[in-house]
Amino acid sequence: MTTRIFRLIATSALLTALAVLASAAISAQGKPSAGAAPVPQPGPVRPAQDWASGPSSERTFKVRLDFNRWHDVAELQADMRTLEKAYPKFLKYRSLGKSYGGRDLALMVVNNPDTGADTTKPAMYIEANIHGNEIQGGEVCLYTIWYLMEHYGRIEAITRLVDERAFYIVPTINPDGRDYFMRGPGGNARTGHMPVDDDNDYQFDEDGPADLNGNGVIEQIRKYVPGQGTHRRSAADPRSLEPVRPGETGDYVLLGQEGVDHDGDGRVGEDGYGSYDPNRNYPADWQPNYVQGGAMDYPFQLPEAKAVNDFLIAHPNVAGLQTYHNSGGMILRSPGAEQTGEYPASDVRVYDEIGKNGERMLPFYRYLVIWSGLYTVHGGVTDWGNDTLGVLSFSNELWNGGQYFTSPDLKEQQKDPESPIAPRVANYFFNDHLEFGDQLTEWKPFTHPQYGEVEIGGAFRKTFGRVPPRFMNEELCHRNMAFTLYQADEMPRMSIGEAKVEKLADGIFRVWVDLVNDKVTPTILAKAAANNVVPPDLLTLDGKGVDVLSASWVPNKWRPAVAPMIDQKDLTRIMIRNGQPGRSTRTVQYLVKGAGSITVKYASVKGGTAQKTIALQ
Amino acid sequence: MRTTRLRFSLALLCAVIVAIASGGRFPLRAAPAEFTTYHSYEELAAALKAAVAAHPDLARLVSLGKTREGRDIWAVEIAKPSGPPVDSRPGLLIAANFEGDHVIGSELALYTIDFLLSAYATDPAVKQRLERSVVYVVPRVNADGAEQMFAPVKALRRTNATPFDADNDGRTDEDGPEDLNKDGVVTVMRVKDPKGPYMVSPEDARLMKRADPSKGESGGWALYTEGIDNDGDGFYNEDGPGGVDLNRNFMHQYPYFSPDAGRYMVSETETRALLDYVLAHRNIAAILTFGESDNLIAAGGRPAATAGLHLVDFAEAANAPARRVGMMPDFGGAGGRGFGRGGGMFMFGDEGGPAGRGAQAQAAGRGGGGVQPATTVNAADLEYFTAIGAKYRELTGLRSSGFLRAPAGAFFEYGYFQYGVPSFSTPGWGLPGGGRPAGPGGGAGPSGEAAARPPGIPAGMPAMAGMAGGPGQRGAGRGAGPGVEGSAGEGIDLRLLQWMDSEKVDGFVTWTAFKHPALGEIEIGGFKPYAAVNPPASKIADLGAAHARFVLYLTSLFPRIAIAKSEVTALGGGLYRIRADVESAGFLPTALAQGVTARSVKPVMVQLGVPPESIITGSEKTSFIPALAGSGSRQSFEWVIKGKPGSSVTLKTVSQKGGTDTATLTLQ
Repeated sequence: MTTRIFRLIATSALLTALAVLASAAISAQGKPSAGAAPVPQPGPVRPAQDWASGPSSERTFKVRLDFNRWHDVAELQADMRTLEKAYPKFLKYRSLGKSYGGRDLALMVVNNPDTGADTTKPAMYIEANIHGNEIQGGEVCLYTIWYLMEHYGRIEAITRLVDERAFYIVPTINPDGRDYFMRGPGGNARTGHMPVDDDNDYQFDEDGPADLNGNGVIEQIRKYVPGQGTHRRSAADPRSLEPVRPGETGDYVLLGQEGVDHDGDGRVGEDGYGSYDPNRNYPADWQPNYVQGGAMDYPFQLPEAKAVNDFLIAHPNVAGLQTYHNSGGMILRSPGAEQTGEYPASDVRVYDEIGKNGERMLPFYRYLVIWSGLYTVHGGVTDWGNDTLGVLSFSNELWNGGQYFTSPDLKEQQKDPESPIAPRVANYFFNDHLEFGDQLTEWKPFTHPQYGEVEIGGAFRKTFGRVPPRFMNEELCHRNMAFTLYQADEMPRMSIGEAKVEKLADGIFRVWVDLVNDKVTPTILAKAAANNVVPPDLLTLDGKGVDVLSASWVPNKWRPAVAPMIDQKDLTRIMIRNGQPGRSTRTVQYLVKGAGSITVKYASVKGGTAQKTIALQ
Repeated sequence: MRTTRLRFSLALLCAVIVAIASGGRFPLRAAPAEFTTYHSYEELAAALKAAVAAHPDLARLVSLGKTREGRDIWAVEIAKPSGPPVDSRPGLLIAANFEGDHVIGSELALYTIDFLLSAYATDPAVKQRLERSVVYVVPRVNADGAEQMFAPVKALRRTNATPFDADNDGRTDEDGPEDLNKDGVVTVMRVKDPKGPYMVSPEDARLMKRADPSKGESGGWALYTEGIDNDGDGFYNEDGPGGVDLNRNFMHQYPYFSPDAGRYMVSETETRALLDYVLAHRNIAAILTFGESDNLIAAGGRPAATAGLHLVDFAEAANAPARRVGMMPDFGGAGGRGFGRGGGMFMFGDEGGPAGRGAQAQAAGRGGGGVQPATTVNAADLEYFTAIGAKYRELTGLRSSGFLRAPAGAFFEYGYFQYGVPSFSTPGWGLPGGGRPAGPGGGAGPSGEAAARPPGIPAGMPAMAGMAGGPGQRGAGRGAGPGVEGSAGEGIDLRLLQWMDSEKVDGFVTWTAFKHPALGEIEIGGFKPYAAVNPPASKIADLGAAHARFVLYLTSLFPRIAIAKSEVTALGGGLYRIRADVESAGFLPTALAQGVTARSVKPVMVQLGVPPESIITGSEKTSFIPALAGSGSRQSFEWVIKGKPGSSVTLKTVSQKGGTDTATLTLQ
């Protein structure tokens, strides 16, 4: 009951200060609570009667969702609708459009309308699952929406973030791939589902992998050929196969991925769904298929990529981008290719500060540049975000296999090749002892239409390896969300600082105004400014009957020097093409003629709007 | 002397055209009346509908989509549907008017449509081509842009109608040109200005040149496009209506961040619609575009050097600094105190060094190499380009071109480098005297061909004037200074003017005094919009006939795949040996080398219609030939199969660009 009252008040809060009022309201209920506890007095320990009947200090949640399991598309969307229903004021469920397979690209807009429309605020765009098999980013997105709502009014930083920023969150931008991964066997689920003729036989996607034994996993096929094979059972764990050494023979040959010859062309499983890479279809450093495999025929040919672009072109207020992938434990930034060239040093410093702090928030994650730290990517999302849209863009590779055995002790043990958790067998150990054997399939005989008597099995399930164990996913969700919220908080935030007026003569004033961006990210990235991809910031001056005689930038307001004049025709509308750097204060000096007051306004597409009215006296 | 030579060249050109028109194997019709004017969108649409309505058995009219202003992007598909399925036949795509001001291209395309449809009944060559191939014609890709040629006031516009903040000042399309002197055309203003860098050309007092102080020349004139400074920013007409230049919006050597290239590749409905169309018609085996780049008139098979109109370029160059206004200085001290200072820097060169801690690109070489996109015609393909270009010059009589732009982001370059087929661009007409004189009679004669490429541009390298660098280089594209797009190449001003004089073409407005509201006493004059890019309408019919003939030639070149020989030998015990030769007739190979490299042209498929397990030995059930050269090249296949005596087996071969063939074999 008290919790509900608490939330009713909190959700109608305009400002963070209301959180204080809220706790006062709880006290007014006359019940003791942790928040209103008197200062403890020294004395003998008292029996526990009074606290035993009081409410728990631990929070309860209005909406309960699972973060220890994986959601298919319908479940994700159902949870989003549940959240929207619970928090209708802040959440708007929208669709960016349809996937090739006709599934909605569900978007959640998180915004507090009391502090302005979402389009007037610097916004953080968060997406996930561009590769169909890289699913857990969807849960991170869902967790982010849930966490922001459940903690608005409870945690000051969250309240402020929701009040100051807008969030556009798309848990899956490849719902066809996600559902194929979640509901189908999920082999080769990285791609989207636009048909491609992989084997040049004029038929599209006619021969994909097949789950012959119906156990939900696309496994290897092996054939037992005693003394004639290329592989043998591993001594370390008989469930795994290892290639034999030169000059030796084994008992097994491998016959490839589980499948049949669907199209009767003599080949097994050579043309499955799609077979392109949705994260190579963006138009920054896009390269054709023969240079960048999987790029498709032209940028934004894929309906999903085009829908995302249409949305972001229509939302220039987006100042931060995160696209969640898996795996490896990385905080990635562009450039995706060496030939693009390193970004301007001032942009690199911004990425570095946020990325390095991200490493501190995300153990086992490293902050890397895509082309040098991972591999070359032409036409990826983050290059497009940074270069084409002028948006600070990160891509987290969620989950690092090092997290199976985390302690320094265990890391040390893993150096011993005889250890039960030596790298070669560590996954088997983890499966046996922490997953109770659930994540590994057994080899079982099968009669294959093309290969005869074979065995199928020996595979870790699709939910092992690239995604965390389910019981570890909530931590993954929280830490990655925290990093992205940190980035969101460091998006530019413009304000007007100190203003000073000096009367030079009758009716002539010198006015100094401080312009402040107190966050790490500049209002316009240097590369974006160089390429004119973001509209300039505008510094306007409005005053009835007031003429601007000159305007200047003050190099250092503490050290008197000539301030260079701003060489623009219209000094009531000054363009600042390269924006305001992060954590900076700039001083503009106006020489004005007139009386009354002036209003100075700084409007930045990505840094918000701030204004101040200054009396001329 | 010079005039005499020009006149001579022109006479030669006309003579060649006449010779073709009258002396070809098949008589061409007299030029119909409608090919004496340029067609507005409505007129063009009516003409297309009428042509298709008159030949319902041969032509289909389809819309590829709508432009921003709601015009259809029309395509006419021309083929006799009886015979092999139209979509499986080799196709020629003709596309015109990417650059909105290049309206002559639309007329040549329209002429070609008319020619193919009306000659089908009488011309056996046309009949044969339309029965075994298909011609797709998109006469006006930039329907919104072209319409400006028919506006009451003509201002040159190459772009489509997409609003674009050209000077990135936060206001869109706020400062376009005005026809101040009410002569119906927007030309150039020249203003006496001690700081102006231009002088009256000593070669012709109507022209202007940039004064060269190192030669003791001084300027004294400033040049602007005609109009007023609508937004009071100190620039004239720096952000007019539109848009995106569609021939800069495709992916090959896309000029990133150039203001008329669009925000990103294929950002426009027109370019996307065309790509979707050609990707849905992978049978397209050759592409001919009409536009402001050339790889047909110039010999050598590669795009000719840029040739600009300096008077217009000079006037437009005055606006280049508009995209830099408001770059904050970097005080270096406490002025920008705080983090990330240097956000003001806009020269990447200054930022190259390592920047502190963090994720630095390690020189570990990961991903550094890899495949690079091709930027020159593959040596194996160049012969085809050269041969087809020679035939073009022979059939059209064209030896030198006029106004030409760099093909960065052009559709025809996509057509070769990414779509993988022979792909051409021609302005469709020429000015006499182009190229560098290479000796006596240089310019117009065959000896002028070799000189069409200026020094410094290696053969096979497209002229990339105005680009800051090669592929991947994120240059500013349209930078300040003399490197302004279009002006980097040879200026055609004098050549154009002399041609206008000799041909009595009304294409130049004599400088006349005008009192400008802000600039005071000025003169207005210069080349009329569209006059440098389009010939007088009286030339359309002759040019159309010449290009129709070239189109007919192109359609004769397609590969034709066939099972040339097949035989079955019984080996006994139900075993049979099957041998077959797959042959490619026609001039072109089934795939150019670049088509193979780009993986955009499928290999020839050879498929034996038996269950895979019945093949004992030999080729696979489904085999592939990456490319089969033309002119009767063959490849042999052999299978030993187990089969039922007397049963029949189908052997099929499919070439994406060369049709299909099947043979039915009886096991005996």
